Parts: sequence; structure tokens; C-alpha cells
Amino acid sequence: MSTRDEQGLYIHHTTVRFGGLLALDDVSLRVPPGRVVGIIGPNGAGKTTLFNVICGFVVPQAGAITLDGRPLRPRPDHLYRHGIARTLQGVGQFGGMTVLENVQVGQRRRARPEEAYAALERCGVAEHAGEYPGSLPYAKRKRVELARALVARPRILLLDEPAGGLDAAEIGWLAELIRSARTTVLLVEHHMDLVMSVCDEILVLDFGKPIALGTPGEIRSDPKVAEAYLGAPA
Amino acid sequence: MTILQDATKTKDHQKSPPKSTPLLLVIAGAIIVVALTYVLPPFRNYQLATIGAYFCVTAGLTVLTGLNGQLSLGHGALMATGAYTLALWQNKFDLLLPGIALAVLVTTVVGGIIGLAAARLRGPYLAGLTLAVAVVVPSITSTFDKTFNSDQGLSVALDPPPGVIPVEQWQAWLCWAGALLTVLVLAYLVRGRFGRDLRAVRDDETAAKLAGVGVARTQVMAFVVSAACAGLAGALFAVLAQSVSPGAFPLTLSLFLLMAIVIGGLGRLTGALIGAVLLVALPSVAQSIAEDAGSQHLEGNLALTFFGVVLVLVMLAAPGGLAALKFPRRSRRQKG
Repeated sequence: MSTRDEQGLYIHHTTVRFGGLLALDDVSLRVPPGRVVGIIGPNGAGKTTLFNVICGFVVPQAGAITLDGRPLRPRPDHLYRHGIARTLQGVGQFGGMTVLENVQVGQRRRARPEEAYAALERCGVAEHAGEYPGSLPYAKRKRVELARALVARPRILLLDEPAGGLDAAEIGWLAELIRSARTTVLLVEHHMDLVMSVCDEILVLDFGKPIALGTPGEIRSDPKVAEAYLGAPA
Repeated sequence: MTILQDATKTKDHQKSPPKSTPLLLVIAGAIIVVALTYVLPPFRNYQLATIGAYFCVTAGLTVLTGLNGQLSLGHGALMATGAYTLALWQNKFDLLLPGIALAVLVTTVVGGIIGLAAARLRGPYLAGLTLAVAVVVPSITSTFDKTFNSDQGLSVALDPPPGVIPVEQWQAWLCWAGALLTVLVLAYLVRGRFGRDLRAVRDDETAAKLAGVGVARTQVMAFVVSAACAGLAGALFAVLAQSVSPGAFPLTLSLFLLMAIVIGGLGRLTGALIGAVLLVALPSVAQSIAEDAGSQHLEGNLALTFFGVVLVLVMLAAPGGLAALKFPRRSRRQKG
């Protein structure tokens, strides 16, 4: 049985190299249950690579991942067994299937249409259930992808730039969804207002190296973060 | 508003026609086929039987290529596997139904092996692999000529049909029993999770993996299911021709099968049926024209030309194939 300190997702001293490029350099992060943790940094900082390590798309040269104290050897198609769901940077949808079927693909244990409708309803796109995602505006397609991730009732939700291409109203809706998700959320995002408003803790990466970890207030006032990513206040 | 009420509202909003049950369609199909066999002359019954045999393989191929996105140029060779298995079995044991079952089983195993390799390949490399299968399998008959009797092939020992049923009518029943069983199994398979997984892998492999779909497993399963259908078709062709030879399963057969499902409508069982009809009708039309023109050379090439022309015309008029064609509905007369 895992102790309270071991609960949740723990990334231990993870290093990833792509040939001569050091994508992640000794990154450690603890994500306790129910917390919303943001990962920010400039493009190429290693944020998505860290997600890919958690999902098993990338095998690290060093380091380990534990879930509730147990070693996690992730495989992308087995993530649901560990209660992990992820959205992609793009919309990652199945164009030849209806919106409802897109969500049903995410139902691995039971494929009850009512639950898929419930997920669509929660994301505000239930009225498009019978349509094809290609006929929907970008923001609604993003909502469909979120519904597919949520339908599996994940313990840990990995959101990779979910606010990309959304307007202010949509980002407000997304913030509300994350706050009310009642699940652990790992958020990679460039939209700082969203990150600062929903995250309990933020990890800042720069060229694969962790340069800061703290609450939104601490990150905002960290000079290293300002220099590498946020910029000096005007 | 409850979820179910919302679901109803969405369904009402779509105004889609209710989905027909595959079992009812298959029963209706069986009644039509049996009725047709009593009114058609023997040669037409033979053609009807051939359509049924082709329908087995086109239905399986459209699941593989249309729903799962895997291109196969080797289904002619899988048919040959089924046909030779049945011929060898019949010549030893003369038990037709177990022989057909064995032909399906052997082809399923072969398809599984090809599928394991195919799941690691994409696009032109996958086409290349299946093309190699189409070339290699017939040449095996020459390598092991004592078993397969080289280019002469094997005759298939068959008992006469039961009672006083004409051979062609019995062949039509047998082939369509196989075809309708194939369609029934495939229709139920693709309606559920397996069908969704097939299409998810076709549309976006990364997103499918993240949704929990075993991409390689799904691709291998698609190949296995499709190979089983091809094996059944091969066995039925062996029954129809009462002989098997490598010349009956050339590379052009695999190309014809692929063209047929594209013209009919990829990923649709109705498209596979249209493709099967074309596979029988176009060579027949070509033969008639060649006979009228008095040229035997023309006959061999005209069918391929016909297929090419029909493919171009259909793709221009209906990119989704003939099964995707939508005809404008006649407006209802208003009452009063």
C-alpha cells in the first residue's frame, strides 16, 4: 500500500535525448491527486516530450515514473488501464466517424451511448452528436476531443495546449471545466491567464531543464522565469 | 433535461432513417436468391453463384481497405490458398462443409501471418508486401508440383447435388449461403466496438492509441477477418469450377477485386455487393462485344479496359463509389 507521499503521479529524474539534442534534462515532478499542475516554457522546452514520456510514446534514457508508488511502464494504448487520458495539441479526431462515435472510441470498458452523450453534454456539444467533426468549428472539435478524454473518467488528465485557437469565451469555459473536473490535471499551455488561474502548481522548463517549480504567484515573480519565458513586466 | 431526453432530441434533430437489422436484410436476401434460382436459366444461376462467391471476398476486402485503411494487392492469393486447401481435402476425404471450414481456417492462419507483417508497414510498403504474396503463392504450385500439380492444377471431387436439384442452382445456394453468412458476421462486427476501432485506426493512429485502441492488434484482426472471407470465396470458386489452378488466381484478380470495391463504394457492404456484380457483369459484357466483333484477343483485354473506364467515370461522378450515390427524392404531393 502506498503512503500519502507516494500517492499520485511521480516523475523521477527523467532524461530524454534525441540524438545530440537534450530534450529533457533530469526532470522531476510530483503530481498529487486532485491537483492541477501546469507545465510551461518556450517552444522546444520539452513540455510535450514530458507528456510523451508519461504516455509511453518516448522511452527516456534515464529516470522512472511511478503511479501511487508503483512503477509505471506506460504504453499509449494501455493508459486507460491506469486511469490516464490525454488530449493532443491538434484536434486528433476520427474524421470518418460521427461526434458520438468519436467519443465512444474512448469508452474501453463499457460502450454505453448514454455515457458518451453525457460527456458531450458536459462539453456543450451534445447537439452535434450525429454530425461529423470535420463539419464543426475548431473550438467545438476541441470540445469533442475533451469529451473523448473525459468519457473514460480518468484519474489523471493530460491536456496538451487545450486553449490553442480558442477565443476568450471558450478559454473561460475551459478554465471552468478544469476547475470542476475533480481529477488530477497536467496542463501544457502557452495561455498564461488560463495557467495562472487554474493551476495549483507550475513547472517551468527551458531547453529541457526545469528552471522553476512553484505556485502561480511564485512563478510570476521568479526572475529566471521572466528572463527565459514570461519576459519582464512593462 | 436528462441525458436520454437529450439523446432523443439529437436523434430527432438528425432525422436519420432507422437502421435496418442485418439479420432481417440477410433473411430477405436469402428469400430473393432462392426465388431467383427457380426462375433463372442454368447459366444465369451459375453467374448468380459467382456473384455470391465474389461477394464473400469483396465484403472482406472492403472491411480491410475501406474501414481499416490497409491496402491489399494479395487477396487473389488468399483465395488461391482457400481453393487449394479445399481441393486437397476433397480429393482425400470428400466432405464438402468440413472442407470449406478447413479452407477458411487455413487462409485465416495465412492471413494472420501476413497481417502481423502488414501491421508494421504503411502505404506503398504494405502494397509491396501484399503484391509479393500475390506473386509468390501461385509460384508455390510449381515448386511443389507433386502436391499441387503445377500449372495444370487439381480437380475437385464433388458429390452430385442432393435430390434432383440442378448443379447450377445448388451452387448458387451454396455460394449465397456463404455470402450471406459472411455479410451477417461482418455487419455485426463492424457495427460494434471492433468497427469503431477499425475506423479510428484508419483515421488517426496516435489518437486511436491514446483512446486505448490496440492499433497493431486491430490491424492484424482486420487482416485475419478479411483473409477468412477470401478463403471462403476461394473454396466456393473451387466448388464452382470443380478445379483449381494458378491461372485462376492471377495478379489481375487482386487488382480487379480492389477496383470493384472502390467502384462499389469503399467501406460499405452494399458497395462490396455492387463490386461483386460488376466483377461478373463487366467480363460478360466484354465477352459479348468481343464475340460480336469476332476477336478473341479483344476479349481478354476488354474487361480490364471496361473496369478502368468505369473506375474513372464513377470516381468523377461519385467519389464515394456507386453505393454512396444519392438520388433526389421525389417530392410528396400535398394533400388537399
